[in-house]
Amino acid sequence: MPITINLDTVLQQRGMKSKELAEQIGITQANLSILRSGKAKAVRFSTLELICEALNCQPGEILEYISE
Amino acid sequence: MQDKTKILTYFTYGLLLLSLSLLINDVRDFNTDQFKDFVSWSRDANKNESWLPGKNAIQWSYYAVSAALFFWRAYLIYAFSIFLTIIKEIEAGNYFSDTVSKSFKKIGTIFIYYTINVFVLKLIMALIGSYSFHLLTEFKEELLYLVPAGFAFYLLAELFERVKKLKDENDLTI
Repeated sequence: MPITINLDTVLQQRGMKSKELAEQIGITQANLSILRSGKAKAVRFSTLELICEALNCQPGEILEYISE
Repeated sequence: MQDKTKILTYFTYGLLLLSLSLLINDVRDFNTDQFKDFVSWSRDANKNESWLPGKNAIQWSYYAVSAALFFWRAYLIYAFSIFLTIIKEIEAGNYFSDTVSKSFKKIGTIFIYYTINVFVLKLIMALIGSYSFHLLTEFKEELLYLVPAGFAFYLLAELFERVKKLKDENDLTI
């Protein structure tokens, strides 16, 4: 898929662990792992909003389009 | 849900037992009453007579067709037993598993194959003169119900497959 998730990079930049983020935004670690690995089929706006709020970033920093 | 599936399981077992006993009874009747005629006929039959289109061929085809009819009835009973697999999956909470959709498809296929084959076999029986074939009666007896039921099961299988895809997509939406 040409859409890639840069969640690991943003987490590293903010010095936050994925477990902390999962707890803050109220999703399971398993679901966050699906998102991080790029296996997710879709991301809800509400989840994206919570991630951006927790990491103090823009959606564009997490999602990136790379043409194939 | 548990109660409903239990009732359905008991009902399916009852139906299976009933249909099996009916089939065994018919097989026994066939052996005792008709096979005797066949044995006595085979003793008196003219062995030099040519096979086709002789009496020998007609007699043998009658028994072959009867055996085929019993086979198809047993296969239809097997289709009912597939319901038990579906009920077990539902009881386990796997409502949209591959097994459920495949089982529905299998039941539909058996229903349609049964109808076509029984129709053809009864037609052959009528041609060799050992069965009075009335198209309307045949349709009333089983053909009318099993073909639409078969297609309905195909439709159910398709629906369950689509729902499974949607469920997978929903599970992967974060």
